[in-house]
Amino acid sequence: MKLFRIFSSCILGVVCVSLVHAGEVRFPVPSYEGDELRNVREWEKTWAGKKITAENVDQVKEYLHEAVYKAVKEPSIFGAESIWFEIVPYKPLPVTKGMIAATKKHAPGSLDVNNDLVGYGDVAGIPFPQPTTGAEMAWNFDSNTKGDSHHIIHTGTVVDCRTRHERDAKQLRWEMRWMGRYDVPPVPKFSKKDNPRDITLSFFQRHAAPADFVDTTMLELKYKDLTRATDLWVYTAMFRRIRRYATSQRTDTIDGTDMIYDDQDGWYTHLGHNTYKYLGRKDLLFARHQDPAKLERITGQGFWSGVQRERVNHWVVEVVSKEPDYVYSKQVWYLDPETWQMNFKVMYNRQGQLWKMYEMYTNVYPSYGGEQTALFNGEHIVDFIRHHGSPGNREIKGIGIEIPLTLFQVKSLKVRSY
Amino acid sequence: MKKYTWFLFLAALAAGYVLVPEPSDAAYHVLDGKLRIKGSLYEFMMYRTDLKREERQYRDTDWGLMRTKGTLELLYKAVENKDVMINLFGFFQWWHEGVPDFDQEYKRSIERRNHKRYQGPFYDQDDWINELYADIYFGNWNIRLGKQIVFWSEVEMVRTIDRINPLDLRYTTPGIDPWDEMKLGLWMMRGFYNSNLPGQLVFEWIWIPGDFEQVRSPMEGTSMGAIPAPQGPKYRRPRPFGQSAAVNRMFHRARPAFTLRNSQWAFRIRGNSEVSLFGEIYLLDWTVSWYHGMNSTPVARNKTRGNPTGNFNIRTLNGYLTRNAFPSRVLGFALPHLTHDSFWRYKFFDAVGASCQTFVPALKGVVRGEFSYEIGLPINKAYPLHIDPTPGGEKPITGTSERDQINVGITFDRPVRWNWLAQRWGSSGVLDVTMGWFGQWRLGNVTRWRSTFGYQDRSQCNFTLTVRGKLRHNELWPTMRFLYNTRNWGYGVFAMRYTPGKHMRYELGYLWFFARDPHDSKEAYAENKDSIYFRIGYEF
Repeated sequence: MKLFRIFSSCILGVVCVSLVHAGEVRFPVPSYEGDELRNVREWEKTWAGKKITAENVDQVKEYLHEAVYKAVKEPSIFGAESIWFEIVPYKPLPVTKGMIAATKKHAPGSLDVNNDLVGYGDVAGIPFPQPTTGAEMAWNFDSNTKGDSHHIIHTGTVVDCRTRHERDAKQLRWEMRWMGRYDVPPVPKFSKKDNPRDITLSFFQRHAAPADFVDTTMLELKYKDLTRATDLWVYTAMFRRIRRYATSQRTDTIDGTDMIYDDQDGWYTHLGHNTYKYLGRKDLLFARHQDPAKLERITGQGFWSGVQRERVNHWVVEVVSKEPDYVYSKQVWYLDPETWQMNFKVMYNRQGQLWKMYEMYTNVYPSYGGEQTALFNGEHIVDFIRHHGSPGNREIKGIGIEIPLTLFQVKSLKVRSY
Repeated sequence: MKKYTWFLFLAALAAGYVLVPEPSDAAYHVLDGKLRIKGSLYEFMMYRTDLKREERQYRDTDWGLMRTKGTLELLYKAVENKDVMINLFGFFQWWHEGVPDFDQEYKRSIERRNHKRYQGPFYDQDDWINELYADIYFGNWNIRLGKQIVFWSEVEMVRTIDRINPLDLRYTTPGIDPWDEMKLGLWMMRGFYNSNLPGQLVFEWIWIPGDFEQVRSPMEGTSMGAIPAPQGPKYRRPRPFGQSAAVNRMFHRARPAFTLRNSQWAFRIRGNSEVSLFGEIYLLDWTVSWYHGMNSTPVARNKTRGNPTGNFNIRTLNGYLTRNAFPSRVLGFALPHLTHDSFWRYKFFDAVGASCQTFVPALKGVVRGEFSYEIGLPINKAYPLHIDPTPGGEKPITGTSERDQINVGITFDRPVRWNWLAQRWGSSGVLDVTMGWFGQWRLGNVTRWRSTFGYQDRSQCNFTLTVRGKLRHNELWPTMRFLYNTRNWGYGVFAMRYTPGKHMRYELGYLWFFARDPHDSKEAYAENKDSIYFRIGYEF
C-alpha cells in the first residue's frame, strides 16, 4: 500500500508539473478574455466609432496616457487647432504559426545573473509568454522579429510646431534578423557559414530626402555577443565617404527628428544597457489597426490626428539606463500583450520631467507563407518641452521577404550610390 | 552671353520645380521614375577683412569672391533587369565668379587671357561636366565608364592616399572646403569586383587613358592667389602677368597629350575584417592601394632649362623667368614673348597606400588612419642655401631629380555628450569632435630640393581639431575647425549653417589664418586672407 501511495504521488507530481509547464507555454495570449473582454465590448458599445477631441477627451481620460491626453487637450502645443482620434473596437493581433511553434518549442526561457537571455540567438519565439519581471518582458519585446525580414519606405517630417517650419526625410529601409528567426527559413538562425560574425540583427537604409542627404546610406549590425558594441556605418553622399560611427553617437538624433538611434522601433540596442522594472498592467487606447490613409495633419502640426485607437491591456516596464549620464533619466515602455511589440513609450529628461513620447501605429500585413504579421506603419515622436514633433509614415513593401545577405556588407554602402 | 545660358536654364529648372506639385522625394522624378533630377543653385560671397597694403593697391573693393554656381545631377536608369543594370549618371556644373565684373583694379591684376578661364567653367572644354559616366552592374562586377571623381580618403582636411583627381584651388582652400568641391573629374574606366572571399574583399582598378589635369593653383591677381610679382614701378601697377602667371601659363602649355602612352593606373583592395586583440573584437575597414600616375605639377625639362645664372635667353626656362622678372617687371620693359618651347614636363611617380578605420570600445570612439609612400616623386633642384640664399620658389632651376615621401594621417572621432546642451536650442546634446595628427617626411637630401613652400623642410607636422554641433533639430549646424602646424602656421574656421526647410540653405562663417612664414606651405601662404563668407543656396 505504501508503495502504491508513493507511486501515485509520483504520477500526480508528474501530471501537475506537466500541467504547470503546459500553462507556462500558453501562447498567444489575447489582451482580454472572459469577463474582461465582455467589459471591453460593453464599453465599446458606447465609444467605438466615436471621434474624440478636446471637448470629449475627458470622458475617456482613464484609457489615455497622460501624454496623449495632454496633446489632445492642448493641441496648440503641437501646432494644431484640434487633435482628434477615433476609437475602434479591440481586435486581437494575429501571430504567425512560426512564432507559436518557436515559442512552444523554446519557452519558457531563462535569464542569467546579468538578466541576459540564456541561449540568446539560438532560441526563437517569445521566451516568457507569462512573464513576471521587467527583464523578461524586455526579452519578449526583443524576440519579436517583425517577420524575420522586412522592407519599408519611411517618410518622416521634422516639425517645429512653434514656427511651423517643416523638413522632410525619407528612407528606404531593409531589415533582417539573422538569429532567433521563426517565420522564414532558415530557422532559428543562419548557419555559421552564412553568418560568420554572429550578427543577430541588421538594417540597411538609403536616404531619398532631404536633398542634402539623397543617396546617403546606412548600415547597422548588432551581434549575438551582448557585450559587443553595435556597429554603424554611414556613407555620406555629400562627402562620398564611409564613416564609422561611435557607439555614443547612438544618443544623437536621427536627421534632426526627435528620435535618437536607440529609439528606433522603440529600442534598437542591446537590452543589457538598461535595467527593467515591471510596473503592472495598464489598459490604454493605442493604434493597432491603423489605416495610414486616415492619418492627417496640417503644416506645422507635429502630432497626427486620425489615429484609430483601440483598448489594449499593456505590460508596463520602467527602463533605466546603466549609463549614469544617459540622455534619458528613465523610459516607460508599453508592450503589446499579444505580439510583444512596443506600442508606446515615454522618455524623461535628466531632471525627471516628461520630455518625449513615441507612439507607434501598427496594422496587419501579408507576410511569408500566406501568414499575417503586425508591423508598424506610422508613428509620431513628440517633444513636450520644446514643442516639436516628428510624425512619420511607413509604407510596407514586404514582410518575410528574401533579402540578399550581401546587402548587409560595408561594401554595399557605396554600390549604386552617387 | 553664352555664359548666362546655363544659368538661365538652371534658374528655369528651379522655377519649374517650384511650380510643379511637390514630389515626395527631395529629388524630382520623370519618365516613370527612370530619370532622377537633382541640383542646386548657390551664391558664395567672401569679404576680405585683412587686406594688406601691398595687395590693396590691386583692389577697388574688399570682396574676394562672389561666385554663383549651379549644379544639375541626372540619374537615368537605362537598363534594369535580373542580370544587368545600367545607370547613366551626369553631374553638370556652371559658375560665374563676379568680383572682376565690378572691381576694375582687381580685373586688371589678372592676366587678360585668364579672365574667361577664371570667371567661368572655361579652363578646359569639359569643365562644365563634373562627372558623366555609365554605371554598369552584372553579377559581382561593376564597371564605370566616363568622367569621374574618385574618393579614396578616410580622413578629413589633409590628403594622403586620395590622389587620383587633381585639385582646383582657384576658389577654395584645402582643409576648409570639402575635397569634392575642389576635385577635377577625369575620363576613366573604373571597375569593381565584389568578391565572396573572406573579408568581403572588393577589388577596384582604375585606368585613365591619357586624360590629364594639372593642379589649378590660385591664379595670380585673384583673391586666392598672389599679387602680380615682382611688382615693378608704381606707375605701372597693377600690371598683370608676373612670375606666377608666367609659370602657370607654361604649366598649361606643357600638358601631356591625350594618348594611351600617358595612361595612369590605380588599384585598390578594400576589405572588412575582424581582428581579436586583448580579448576585444575589432572590425576593421581597411584598404591597400597602389597608384601610378603623373604628378599634377611638372618639373623642368632639362633640354630647355638653360643656364641658371646670367641667362636672358627667353627660349630657355631660366632665361625667360629672369627676363620676365627683372627687365620687364622690375624695370618696366615690355613683357617677353613666351615661345612655344615646352619648358616643363609632367612626370610619373608611384604611391602605395593603406587606410584603416575601426571603432575602439575602450576609447568609445573611431580611429582612422592613412598612410602613403610616394616613390620617385619628381622634383626640381636648385643651389643649396649656402650658395644661393634666395627663397626656394625664386631660385633658378639647376636640374631635376626624384625623392620618396611619406604621408601619415590619424584621426580620432569621439562624440561628446553635453547634457546641458541637450535641453537647449533643440540640440541632441552630442558634439562630434575629431582630433587629427598628420605628418609628412621628405626622404633623402632636401638641401637641393627647390620648392616654393616648405623649402628645406624635412618634415611637416599638423594637428587638427573639428567640433560640430547640431541645434534646433539640425536647422543650425555650428562648426569650428582648427589646424596648427608645428612651424607656427595654421587657420581656424567658425561657421554656422542654417537649413530651415526643404530647399533653402545658408551659411555664415569666418576664416582666420596665421603664419610666421607664409612660405611654409600653401595654406600658410593664405595668412592674410582672413575673411567673412556667406553662402546662400537652393537645393532641389
